[in-house]
Amino acid sequence: MTWVAFYTFAVMTLGAAFCVVTFRNVLHSALMLGVSLLGVSGIFALLGADFVFASQILIYVGGINVLVLFVVLLAARHSDLVLRQSNAQWLAALLVCGVTLFGLLRGLKAYRSVTLAAGPEPGTAKIARLLLTDLAVPFELISLVLLAALVGAILFSRAEAE
Amino acid sequence: MIDHAYLIPLVPLIASIIVLLFGKEGPKSNMPLLSIGAMGFCWLDSCSILYKALTHQVSMPYPAPSLPWFTFGDYPVSLGLLLDGPAVFMTFVVTLVSLLVQIYSLGYMHGDTRFKRFYAYVGFFTASMLGLVLSSNLLVVFACWELMGVSSYLLIGFWFEKPGPAYASKKAFITTKLGDLGFYLGLLLLFAYAGTFEIPMLAQRASMGAVALPVEVATAAGLLLLCGAIGKSAQVPLFIWLPDAMEGPTPVSALIHAATMVAAGIFLVARTQFLYAASPLASDIVAWVGLLTAFMAATMALVAYDIKRVLAFSTVSQLGYMMLGLGVGAAGYTAALFHLTTHAFFKALLFLGAGSVIHAMHTNDMREMGGLSKKMLSTSVTMAIATLAITGFPGFSGFYSKEAILAAVYGHSPLMWAVALLTAGLTTFYMFRMMFMTFAGNPRDIAKHDHAHESPSVMTVPLWVLAVLSALAGFLLSHTGAFEALVHLPEASHGGHHPGFLLWSALAVFAGAAGLSYWLYGRGDFAVAADLKAKMSPIFTLLENRYGFDDFFLLLVKGSDVLARICFWIDERIIDRVFVDAWGLICLLLAEIQNFIDTLFIDGAVDLTGTVTGWAGGGLRGLVRGQVQEYLLYVAMAASLFAMLTLIH
Amino acid sequence: MTLTHYLALGAGLFAIGLFGALTRRNVIGILMSIELMFNAANINFVAFNRFLHPDRLLGQAVTIFNITIAAAEVVVGLALVLAIYRKLNTVYAEDYNLLKG
Repeated sequence: MTWVAFYTFAVMTLGAAFCVVTFRNVLHSALMLGVSLLGVSGIFALLGADFVFASQILIYVGGINVLVLFVVLLAARHSDLVLRQSNAQWLAALLVCGVTLFGLLRGLKAYRSVTLAAGPEPGTAKIARLLLTDLAVPFELISLVLLAALVGAILFSRAEAE
Repeated sequence: MIDHAYLIPLVPLIASIIVLLFGKEGPKSNMPLLSIGAMGFCWLDSCSILYKALTHQVSMPYPAPSLPWFTFGDYPVSLGLLLDGPAVFMTFVVTLVSLLVQIYSLGYMHGDTRFKRFYAYVGFFTASMLGLVLSSNLLVVFACWELMGVSSYLLIGFWFEKPGPAYASKKAFITTKLGDLGFYLGLLLLFAYAGTFEIPMLAQRASMGAVALPVEVATAAGLLLLCGAIGKSAQVPLFIWLPDAMEGPTPVSALIHAATMVAAGIFLVARTQFLYAASPLASDIVAWVGLLTAFMAATMALVAYDIKRVLAFSTVSQLGYMMLGLGVGAAGYTAALFHLTTHAFFKALLFLGAGSVIHAMHTNDMREMGGLSKKMLSTSVTMAIATLAITGFPGFSGFYSKEAILAAVYGHSPLMWAVALLTAGLTTFYMFRMMFMTFAGNPRDIAKHDHAHESPSVMTVPLWVLAVLSALAGFLLSHTGAFEALVHLPEASHGGHHPGFLLWSALAVFAGAAGLSYWLYGRGDFAVAADLKAKMSPIFTLLENRYGFDDFFLLLVKGSDVLARICFWIDERIIDRVFVDAWGLICLLLAEIQNFIDTLFIDGAVDLTGTVTGWAGGGLRGLVRGQVQEYLLYVAMAASLFAMLTLIH
Repeated sequence: MTLTHYLALGAGLFAIGLFGALTRRNVIGILMSIELMFNAANINFVAFNRFLHPDRLLGQAVTIFNITIAAAEVVVGLALVLAIYRKLNTVYAEDYNLLKG
């Protein structure tokens, strides 16, 4: 049962991701990004990370993906549909990516024996405690970063009226 | 006032500076009055000092306060006054003559465009002389001596736009400078041995005998100082500047000849007589220089036609007399200074009278004069008095002083006396010749004679004042013994008896010379004189050429010029070529080598660094194409490579 | 299911994301590829946490931070893209070459 779900989500994730990087139409890519992110959230659910799963759907699929779609719509042109969407170095990139993937996969041999210790259990309460005790300072700093990003985004995207 | 005697040189100095720097220049300037006022003050001051000295209210030398000046190693040098008999008399004479000359110049220099400056110079000149007379410090004496040289240069060359005065001032300055060198060296020698510049201390040291001051040192120092005196007082052989100095304004000549410049040399020898007392050799040389000068100058005066040159040569001659007196011992010392005093009066008078004549006639040449006695009564009478004084006519001042010198010389050496007596005769002859040619007979240049007129009273009054003094000063000072009481050396014997024939021979020589002069020049035509000149032309030529001294010095100058040219040639052709140029070439060669090394290696290294950096930059530049994904690719490559490496290990 | 499966999934996702980031001309595409790579990392974090230290949820907490930072990054990045688009009227990365050497 678990591995059916895993492979389903894995195929969904990787397939959608491949579509993201290969589709000519950026709008389609953005939509496929949403599919891929949903697949990842499924993986999170499989791993028992219920809070991360929820955050993934809320923030990534609900927030970031929608934002990307907006920008795609704002900055899109008709000509984009007929133009090449990948650059001249795609072969070299493919090579590098292959090497990287090969290296990464080679490194995974060490973990072949590690299996799941216990069944998944909900960790939201634990994460909440962790964030407000041990990781309180990074947590607050992250909020500061978010505030700065907010202000910066408004500043950059504002129409240059004045 | 005697405590403030330092004001005497100071006031004219300040006045002259004020006159020079302030006030309006021009013929109508009233700044001269300030100068005259300052000199009048000094004269009154010196009168009061002289009065106190003569009436023995103060003892001489008066202990005047001195001021520390600076310390020379271990030896303090101070600014002080030496107020003794000679200084007091000299101060009186200098201030009086300067005062009268300045008053006289109001008329003589009237209308000159540099009226004010003339007074500034004269004031400065007089201040220098007064400083020289009063200072107790030989260093200050030397400084004043040089200042006087400067001011004489300025005054002789007062009309510097004319070539004659410009040349004459240069000649005077350089010639006297030649003697000044001796003075300076003598000064150094004295200081080296005695460690002081103070005249009283030097004298005291000299009086302690040969232990304190070796005879050789005294001789050397005395002769070196004599060099200075020879230059300043126009003795043989450096007298050549004085006749040329006649190019200056006549009042300046009067000042130079009577009171300042030339008197300074005599005064210096008198001040340092302790050296000559310690060294018989130096003393003898002084006497011989004086005698030679007196005689040669008198002979040169015989043939001069320029009225001022006659007087100039007579001055040289009289200065020789004084030098002679200084060289013959204690009696001569008093006599010489006495003659210096009386000579100041009648020589100033003679020059001012000559100035009056020149002012009237606009010529110096006596051959164009004649018969002036009727038109210029005051001038001719005062000049006659001066002539009688200088020739030693009994009763006039020159008689007393000259007789005193002759008596002193006779006591020293009868041979010298004979020459001196002959010189006195020559003096009488040429002085009367001058008088006859100028004032007697008929006018030879009618146009100029008609134009001539008596000078204004601003010029004749000083003449009369000087005439009275010329006539009476000798009698007053000699008969009362006042001069000798103040001016004498400790070892002088009082009331020495002179043989009676000294007086009679002098009178006889006077009468003979005067008669000869009348016979040759006094009778209206100069036929006999011209005849004589034709017969004895070699002698005349020799005298007119001043014994060739001028040529000699000219030759000396030319010789040194040639020497300088040779040195220059050697310097230019040999020293410069061989040493300087060769060295330069070597340096150039070395520099070229260094330049080569520098260019090739040092610069090459620098350039190489730059080039390599440039190449590297140019190569790397191709990598930086502004394509962010390329950079990312590189990063990914590096990261994957790194990952591979770590995983393989 | 072993840890390797999850890590392999993360590696594949990372490689695809990297390829996209290297080859997409569109800047928005690049941003999306970067999001994929973020997700690959997140999968690893959560997987390691689940398999190696299930009692402590530090990996999940870091994933939360990652998601937050990714959100901030995307927000700023897209704002920048919009601003540049307005200026240069292009979304292609090779045109963004003002700093070319």
